[in-house]
Amino acid sequence: MISAKSVLFMSVISPTTVLLVSLGYLALLFLIASYAEKCRKTDNCLLKNANVYALSLAVYCTSWTFYGSVGKAASNGLEFLPIYLGPTLIAFAWWFLLRKMVLISKQQNITSIADFLSSRYDRSTLLGAIVTLFAVFGITPYIALQLKAIAQTLAILSMPVTAPDTGLYDFTAKLPGSIDIAFFVAMLLALFGVLFGARSLDASEKHEGLVVAVAFESLVKLIAFLAVGIFVTYGLFDGFIDVFQRFYEQFPERRDLLLLGTERTPYTKWFTLIILSMTAVMFLPRQFHIMITENIDEQHIKSAMWKFPAYLFLINLFVLPIALGGLIINGGDTTQADYFVLTLPMSAGQPWLALLVFIGGLSASAGMVMVSAVTIATMILNQLVMPIILKLNVKAQNISGLLISIKRLGILGVIFIGYFYFKIIGSSYALVNMGLISFAAVTQFAPAVIGGLFWKRANRKAAISGISLGFVLWFYTLLIPSFVRSGWLSSEILQNGLYGINLLKPLELFGLRGFDMYTHSLFWSMLFNLAAYLTLSFFARQTESEEMQAERFVDIFVEQPTQPAKLKRISKAPTVMEFVELMSKFIGKKPAQAAIADFLDNQEIDAKGNLSDHEIPNLKSFTQRTLAGHVGAAPAKIILENYLSARGSQMEDIFDIFGTVTISHASSREQLSVLYDTAQIVSSGGDFQKISDNILELLAQQFKFDLCVIRFLEPESMTLMVKSLVGSATEHLGQFERNLNMDTYIGQAFLSNATTVVNDVDYIDKPLSAQHMKRDGITCLAHTPIVFEGDPIGILSAFSKTTKGIFTREFIALFENLAGQVGIAWRNDQQLQKLLRGREQEREMQIAREIQKTFLPANLPDQENIAIAGLCVSAHQVGGDYYDIIERDNSSYDLIIADVSGHSIGSALIMAETRTFIHARMESIKHPSEMLHALNGYFLKDLDRSDQFVTMFYLHYNSLTHRLIYSNAGHNTPLLWKSRERKIVTLDTEGMIFGIKSDISFEQKATDLEPGDILLLYTDGIIEAENKDKVFFGIERLGKLLEECDDLHPQELIDQIMTQGRMFTGMRHFNDDITLVAMKVLK
Amino acid sequence: MKEPQGNYIREAWILCLILGLIMINFPFIHIFNTKQLLFGMPKLVLYFFIGWPVSIAVIWLFVRYIERDSQDGSTSLQDKGDP
Repeated sequence: MISAKSVLFMSVISPTTVLLVSLGYLALLFLIASYAEKCRKTDNCLLKNANVYALSLAVYCTSWTFYGSVGKAASNGLEFLPIYLGPTLIAFAWWFLLRKMVLISKQQNITSIADFLSSRYDRSTLLGAIVTLFAVFGITPYIALQLKAIAQTLAILSMPVTAPDTGLYDFTAKLPGSIDIAFFVAMLLALFGVLFGARSLDASEKHEGLVVAVAFESLVKLIAFLAVGIFVTYGLFDGFIDVFQRFYEQFPERRDLLLLGTERTPYTKWFTLIILSMTAVMFLPRQFHIMITENIDEQHIKSAMWKFPAYLFLINLFVLPIALGGLIINGGDTTQADYFVLTLPMSAGQPWLALLVFIGGLSASAGMVMVSAVTIATMILNQLVMPIILKLNVKAQNISGLLISIKRLGILGVIFIGYFYFKIIGSSYALVNMGLISFAAVTQFAPAVIGGLFWKRANRKAAISGISLGFVLWFYTLLIPSFVRSGWLSSEILQNGLYGINLLKPLELFGLRGFDMYTHSLFWSMLFNLAAYLTLSFFARQTESEEMQAERFVDIFVEQPTQPAKLKRISKAPTVMEFVELMSKFIGKKPAQAAIADFLDNQEIDAKGNLSDHEIPNLKSFTQRTLAGHVGAAPAKIILENYLSARGSQMEDIFDIFGTVTISHASSREQLSVLYDTAQIVSSGGDFQKISDNILELLAQQFKFDLCVIRFLEPESMTLMVKSLVGSATEHLGQFERNLNMDTYIGQAFLSNATTVVNDVDYIDKPLSAQHMKRDGITCLAHTPIVFEGDPIGILSAFSKTTKGIFTREFIALFENLAGQVGIAWRNDQQLQKLLRGREQEREMQIAREIQKTFLPANLPDQENIAIAGLCVSAHQVGGDYYDIIERDNSSYDLIIADVSGHSIGSALIMAETRTFIHARMESIKHPSEMLHALNGYFLKDLDRSDQFVTMFYLHYNSLTHRLIYSNAGHNTPLLWKSRERKIVTLDTEGMIFGIKSDISFEQKATDLEPGDILLLYTDGIIEAENKDKVFFGIERLGKLLEECDDLHPQELIDQIMTQGRMFTGMRHFNDDITLVAMKVLK
Repeated sequence: MKEPQGNYIREAWILCLILGLIMINFPFIHIFNTKQLLFGMPKLVLYFFIGWPVSIAVIWLFVRYIERDSQDGSTSLQDKGDP
C-alpha cells in the first residue's frame, strides 16, 4: 500500500535513456516496416495474416485513448466508455456494411473516403474536394493533439516535480538550436510516412510496411496499458473490488461518478457519443484507409469483427481501476488525471514500467499521425491538386514523378501543420476537445456513405448539399463555441447569437436548449444534412453515368446478368498504345505497361493484334480505373474525357438490334426471335413494301394481334396514309387516311413523337377514339412513331381484340425497336430510290448531250476564199452555248454565235429552239438585224416565263464582195484582225439581249474584209476563265493571242487559244461553256 | 434453400445491431443505474464489463457459423441482395 505522500518520491529516468529508448523503438518500427515490405511479394506476406488486419484497426486508439480515457474516467466517470461501445456495436454490421465497402473499393480502385464518396456520386470533383477540405479541417488539429501528448509525457517522465535538476530544460538543451523533441518526433514520423506510405503513386496499392508497423504499435500499446493496469489493480491495490471499495470509502460524495443520467453525463450525451463513435470508427479517414484501402482479403473482416471489439475491451478493462486508483493516491486531484497512467508507476518507483507506458503512448500517437498524414496527403493530392493540375493542362510528358513528390510533400506538410497547431494553440480548449469534434465532423459523411451503399436514388446533388450543410452546422455549433472558449472570438456570439439574433446562438440554435454541446450539434447538423440528402435524392434526377455508378455500388453483391452488347462505341478511338502513353504520363511507364499487359491477357484480340471495336470502351474504363487507383476517381474521369475530346473521339450510340431491349430472364423467347427475324428481314434488302408487310406479318403472328398497320406521312395533305396492313381491317381502323391532331392516339403519337399505349380501352380519355375502339371491339392498342433523323415519318400500330394489357414496359421497348427497324428499312429504300433516280437522270443527260452535239455544224472544209473553224466545249453535260455556220450559196455565209444563260436542260432546249428558228426562217430573212428582230419577237414570251435570256451576234459575209454585215443582241463583241494595218478592231452595234423588250430594233453595220483578216467570235467562257488568283483571261490576252497567231489556220488558232486558256487557269476543264468561231479571209 | 439462409444471417446481424443499440442506451441501462453495489462493484459497471464480452462472444459465434457454412462449400453467404 502506498500513501499520497509517495508521489513526492517519484523515480526519474535520465533523459538520455528516454531519448535512446524512443529512438531505438522508432528504429525498430523502421526495421519491421522494411521487413514487411521485403516479404510483400513472397508467400509469407504479413498482410495475409488476419491478426495483422485486426490489430491495425486499433489505430482507432490514439493517445486520446491511451492517456485520455483514464483522465475522462477520473473527471467524468463512465463517459469514456461509449467511444468503445459504439465500435463494438457497429461491428455487428460489418459483414454486410464493411464487406460491401471493401468489395466496391477494390472494384473501383478507391483510395480514400473522399474518393469513395466522389466515386459513388458520379465521380464528382466538387464532392471529393468538399470532403477533403472537411477532413483536413477536422483531422489536422487532431495530429497536433498526438504530438502534444508525446511532448508532455516526455517532459513528465524526465522532469518530475521533485527533481528539477534533471528537468526538461536540460533535456531539450542537449538538442541543437531551437529544435524541440516534438519537432524531432514529427520529423521522424514524416520520414516514416514518406518511406512507407508514399512508396508509389498507386494509393490503392497496399502499404505493407505502414500497416505492419501500425499493427505492431497496437500490440505494444495494449501490452503497455495492460501492464500498468495489472500493476495498479493488483500491485498497488488488491484487485478491482478493493479499488472500488476504497474509492467509495474515501470519496463518498463522488458516488455518482459511476452513474449515468447525471448532470455530468446525461443519457442524451451518452447516446450522442455512441452514435459519433459508431460512425467515426468507419469513416475517419485513417480508419477508412486501414479498414478498406489496406484490406487485402475480405475474409479478414470476419475475424476482425470480434478481435477488434475484444481489443477495445481489453484496453478499457483497467481504465476505471487506474482512474479511481489515481484519484485515491492523488487525494482526489483530477488536474493531472490525463497522465495517471504514467505518474502512478513512476511514483510507485517503477521507472521501467513508466518507460514502457511512455513507449505505448508513443505508439498510440505515432500510429495515428502516420496513417492520418498518408491518408490526408493522398486525399489532398487526388481530390484537390489533381483537378487543378488537370485544369492547368500541364503539358509535361511524364508527370508521375511530380505527382509522387507532391504526395510526399503533402505528408510532410500535414504533419508539420499539426506541429505548428500544437506550438501555437497547444493548450487551447479547441485542441483539447478536438477528438470528439473530429468525430462529429466525420459523422456528417454517414448519410451519404450509407445511403450511397443501399439506395440507388441517392444522387450527387443530394450528397453535396447534405455534406455541405452538415459541415456548416458543425462549424457553427461546435467549432465556433470552442473558438470562443479558447478566447479567439468574443463571447458575444455565444451570449447573444450572430448579429444579436437570439435564435442564432451557436449553443442554443433556434432556441433548442438543455443539451450538451455535442448532442446539440449532432442534432442540428444531422437534421439539415439528412433533410437535404433525402429531399434532393427524391426529387433531383440522376444522369445516365450517375445511375450506372449507383448501380455498381448498390448491386455489388448481385450477380450481374450477362451484359447485353454495349450500346456504345468510341468514334476515332485511340489505339492501345495511345492509352498506354496516356497512362504513362500519370503513373509512370512501367506500371502502365504492366497494367496493360494484365488487361490484354483477358481480352479478345483480332488477327492484326488490334482490339475489336467493342473492346475499346472496356479498355477506356480499364484505363480510367487504373488511373483512379493513382489519382482518384474524379481526376481519372476528367483525364479520360479531356483526352478523348481533344482527339475528337466520343462515345456514340450504335444501333444495335438487341441493345435497346433489356435481355433479362423475363424476356420471352418469342420476343427475341421476333427481333432476330426482323433484323434478318431488314438486312435482306428488297422492296420496302415487302419488308413492311413481312414485319407486320411477323408481329401479328407471334403476338396474336388482330391488326397491325404501318402508316406514312403524306407531306402534301399532312395525313397518315396506310403503307402496309396485316390482319382484319374494320371500317375505321383500315381507313386509309388519318388526319393529324391530338384528338386521336395515332395523332398524339405522331405529333408528340412518343409511343402511345392504351392497355385497356375501358379507360381512355379521348372520346373520339373511344367511340371507334368500342365499335370495332378493340381492347388494347399501341402506336409508336417511325423516326428518321429524329423526326417522325410514320406510325407503327398494333391492335388486339382479345387480350388486355399486352403492352408491358418490356414489350413497348420491343415494339419501339421494331419501329426503329422499319425506319431503317425506309431509309435504305429511300437511298436506293435516290441512287436509281440519279442513274436515270445521268443517262438522260447523256442522251441530251449527244443530241446537242448534232446541233452544232460540222466544220466546213476550206473554201476557195475563206477558212472557217468552230469549237464548243460544254462545262456540264449539256450547255447553253450555240454557234452556227450556214452556207447560203457558194459565196455567202451566215455566222451565228449565241449564249443562253445557264447550263441546264432548259438552256439546251432554248438553244435548240433558236437553231430551229434560224434554219426555218433562213430563206425569208436575209439581213442579220431582221433575223435578230424576228428572234426577239419570237422569244419574248418564252424567255420571260423561264427567267432566261439569250445573247447573240449575227454576221453575214459575202466572199465575193468581201462585205461583212453584222448585228449584235448584247453579245460579246467579236475581234477582227486587220492584217494590212496589223491591228485589231472590235465589231459592235446597238442592240439589246433577247427577251427583255418587245419591238426593239437592232442596228446593223458593215465593213469590208481583206485577205489575211481574221474574224474571231467567242462567248464569255474564255474571257472570264479565272486562274487561281481570281484573274480573268480577259479580252486583251485574247487579242494579243490573235495578233501573234495571225499566220495560223483558224482551226490551229482555236486550238492555240484553248491551250493558252488551259495553261492560264491551270485546269483541264473550264467552269463555263466555251465557244469559239474563227474565220480567215484567204483571198 | 441456401439463399434464404444468407438472408436469414443478414437479418440476424441487423437484429443484433438494433438489440445492442437498445441495450446500451436509456432506458434499458437505467435498470442498472443505481447506487447499490453488487459484489462491491457498481451494478452499471458490472453490466457493461460483463455485457461487453458477451456481445463479443455472440459475434464470435456468428462468425464461426458463417465459416462453417462456407466450408460446407456453400456460397450462400455471398449475399444476393441488400436489405
